[in-house]
Amino acid sequence: MTSGKHSRALARAANAGAWRYRDFRGGEKGWWTTPQLVATMPVSPAGSHKQQNFRLNIATQPKKSISFFATMKATSVKGYTGANQSRMAVSKTVLIPPELKTAEKTNPSIKTMQVFDINGTDVTPRPLYHPDPLTGTAKPNKLLTSQEGSLGPEFISSHSLYQNTINPSMLGQFTRSVLGSSTVSKSSVSTSESIAEDLEEPSYKRERLTSFTDLQVIRAAPEKIVTKEDLEKNIEIILTETETLRFFDLPTVMVSVESEEAEKVTQRNKNYEVLCRNRLGNDLYVERMMQTFNGAPKNKDVQCDKIIMEDKGIMSTAWDLYDSYNAMEPLSLSVKPSVVESSSKTNVLPKDQDQRLPGSTIEKNSETSSLMDIENVILAKIHEDEEDHSDAILKSDKFHQDLFFMERVLMENLFQPKLAAYRQLPVLKEPEPEEPEDFLESAKREDVEEESKKEEEEEIHAEESTIPANLERLWSFSCDLTKGLNVSSLAWNKTNPDLLAVGYGHFGFKEQKRGLACCWSIKNPMWPERIYQSPYGVTAVDFSIGAPNLLAVGYHNGTIAIYNVRSNSNVPVLDSSESPQKHLGPVWQLQWIEQDRGTTGDDKREILVSISADGRISKWVIRKGLDCYDLMRLKRTTATSNRKGGEKEKKDEALISRQAPGMCFSFHPKDTNIYLAGTEEGHIHKCSCSYNEQYLNTYRGHKGPVYKVTWNPFCHDVFLSCSADWGVIIWQQENVKPFLSFYPTTSVVYDVAWSPKSSYIFAAANENRVEIWDLHISTLDPLIVNTANPGIKFTTILFAKQTDCLLVGDSDGQVSVYELRNMPTALESGRGDKIDTLLGPKSNQPA
Amino acid sequence: MEIGEEAEVEETLKRIQSHKGVIGTMVVNAEGIPIRTTLDNSTTVQYAGLLHHLTMKAKSTVRDIDPQNDLTFLRIRSKKHEIMVAPDKEYLLIVIQNPCE
Repeated sequence: MTSGKHSRALARAANAGAWRYRDFRGGEKGWWTTPQLVATMPVSPAGSHKQQNFRLNIATQPKKSISFFATMKATSVKGYTGANQSRMAVSKTVLIPPELKTAEKTNPSIKTMQVFDINGTDVTPRPLYHPDPLTGTAKPNKLLTSQEGSLGPEFISSHSLYQNTINPSMLGQFTRSVLGSSTVSKSSVSTSESIAEDLEEPSYKRERLTSFTDLQVIRAAPEKIVTKEDLEKNIEIILTETETLRFFDLPTVMVSVESEEAEKVTQRNKNYEVLCRNRLGNDLYVERMMQTFNGAPKNKDVQCDKIIMEDKGIMSTAWDLYDSYNAMEPLSLSVKPSVVESSSKTNVLPKDQDQRLPGSTIEKNSETSSLMDIENVILAKIHEDEEDHSDAILKSDKFHQDLFFMERVLMENLFQPKLAAYRQLPVLKEPEPEEPEDFLESAKREDVEEESKKEEEEEIHAEESTIPANLERLWSFSCDLTKGLNVSSLAWNKTNPDLLAVGYGHFGFKEQKRGLACCWSIKNPMWPERIYQSPYGVTAVDFSIGAPNLLAVGYHNGTIAIYNVRSNSNVPVLDSSESPQKHLGPVWQLQWIEQDRGTTGDDKREILVSISADGRISKWVIRKGLDCYDLMRLKRTTATSNRKGGEKEKKDEALISRQAPGMCFSFHPKDTNIYLAGTEEGHIHKCSCSYNEQYLNTYRGHKGPVYKVTWNPFCHDVFLSCSADWGVIIWQQENVKPFLSFYPTTSVVYDVAWSPKSSYIFAAANENRVEIWDLHISTLDPLIVNTANPGIKFTTILFAKQTDCLLVGDSDGQVSVYELRNMPTALESGRGDKIDTLLGPKSNQPA
Repeated sequence: MEIGEEAEVEETLKRIQSHKGVIGTMVVNAEGIPIRTTLDNSTTVQYAGLLHHLTMKAKSTVRDIDPQNDLTFLRIRSKKHEIMVAPDKEYLLIVIQNPCE
């Protein structure tokens, strides 16, 4: 009944329309009550109208052609067919206009009338189309309003409504019917045939257009008819649900194999395949071209913001990857503190990354980056000010180191030929110095040995060329600080052959000035690496063997200090000035000894042995401080008596001091228990560590203080001594009498040293001469004599271990490095034997 | 300690400059701004800029061959001088010397 309900509303409108129509016709007032009747009327107002007309016809029976409509429309309602039919039947009986017949003929499909068969059964064909009154919406069309002006609006409306709901397939029939009726209404009755002919080719458009105009009008029409009464009337509006509208239907192209249609489909497919195959070359199929219309393309421009492009290149290098990879692990650990530190500096970072990434090559297009560098940048940017930063740079350790290296490099450049000569590398006499500086750093030690062989060969050649052996001065260690001081002692570092310790201090009591202990490096001849200043003159220095960073310094006031050369501090690590057993007189010699058997029975312990002018030879042990044990007290011995015992009680004449000042000592190279000690008396005592009261032997020969005594490094029975009595004496261990004596000049011999390369060669430093003696060549004259500048005394002498160089310290604070050139080749076989043979036949008299 | 170190630094720089054949000594930071220099500013900046790039390249080369290695010192010998550069992340120490006289 929904449609019926819906129809009610429309029926109202139709009523109105009808009512209006009624007005046109001078309608009756009784029309109002017809709504109920209308309910059963057809849906469309047109229909109702028709019904009304029909009724009208019934009532008044006007002979109008409109009756057509009523009947026609009435029957088109679905569901009411029966009623309509009944109505129709009624109408049929009432109205027998001649037009009916025509309608029959024209519209067989649509029930303009009812068909009854012989039995009176209503067999009128039902309409195939049932327009849906709900979808009757106005379609705007203004095209043919003028054409249909003569038509009453109701007609138009009826047309339109129908038109809306017309199924296109049914359109023709309807339009025919509609048009037919309209034409009938319009014009005078004409033959149905003519109408039909007219309708043969319904100008589809015309009809449509008419209907459209109808549609347009129908909108306006209801509004005009509304009266007050109408407004107050309750209008029921019923909302209904429309049919499901299908907007889109995409049928499947696949059918399940198991479905019922499967077989048909497969058959069809097969047929199609066969068809396709047959198509080729078949006369039935002709290829034909068709031209399709190309749609006109349309260009559409769109404008957008310019996309800014930036090029960014990164060069991935092996080290970059390595850095990033390695920085990943510590980064995770240190990221927290660094983040904290850099939290306030993150804004500075981007700029820094551009500028300060040390690993980055900031070119235009490429840059490298590294996590670690960023990390370092983060940490480094703690200082905000530029000034702070530059100060930080200057203060940084790395800068120190770089300065240090730079200085050494400079030195290298300056002293390159000299250093090369020192290291016994070939020096090419060319304006362009070549690579020896590289050699200097790298494989120096291996090269030196090779070079020394070459040197020997050169020496052979040199001998043939009869150039005498000479000392060539390479350079000298000196600086402003050391100027004017007297070099009192020299010592090499035991592990670093380039490191030299020099002690500056005056010998004499009256000449005491401040003292200096410096560590020089071969690589930097112009400035010492370490400077240790002290108010007292330094009289002895020595580097430790076991701990090569320890330097023992003996002072003129008897103090012994131990410095750690790793640090630059002027404060010694250990000092004996507080020790109750410190020396009372100048410490003339210090030496670190590694003893196989210490007095306490330890395996190998290093002790520091010192001899001083208070007559004591002391052994210093580093435990918590410097502990001192006396090895020997040098007793005065008279020239005549060869007393070995050192009784504590005085048996001799009263002397100022019971003890003889010790000047020097030397431990036996093989047996560190035995040592020689030279005294101021001129005696040389052979002592043992085991006995601290007795001498094993006393060698008398010197008449003045023995300044130096030294064992021959190759021949262990021979030792050498020098003294202030201008003499240098070679002794044999077993013989208390001098073996060989040399009195080259009338000047004090301050220092002697054996050459480390040959057992025949030794050097002696007089006051104004340095002499190199070669016993193999001559025992009368020195091989080389080098005279000092006037006013300068040579005070110390030291051979360089691996090179043919000699260091000579003088009283002006300079340590000169001389190269021994053209030395006679040392015989390789049995150096020790040679000297024995030398000494053997010469034991009685020098040859 | 720091004051002593600073004095030592200054002294060392002075000594370097006073060595035979040394034409100029420069310490520039990573941006090329001179911290200490004995040459005029334009020369310093020129040297700093050029040597910075070269040092980077040398460092990159060394590390490319072996990432665990690093550049410690760079010396450029030319007909007239020798330029010695001690590079670091934050600074460059440059000394120009005329080695042979």
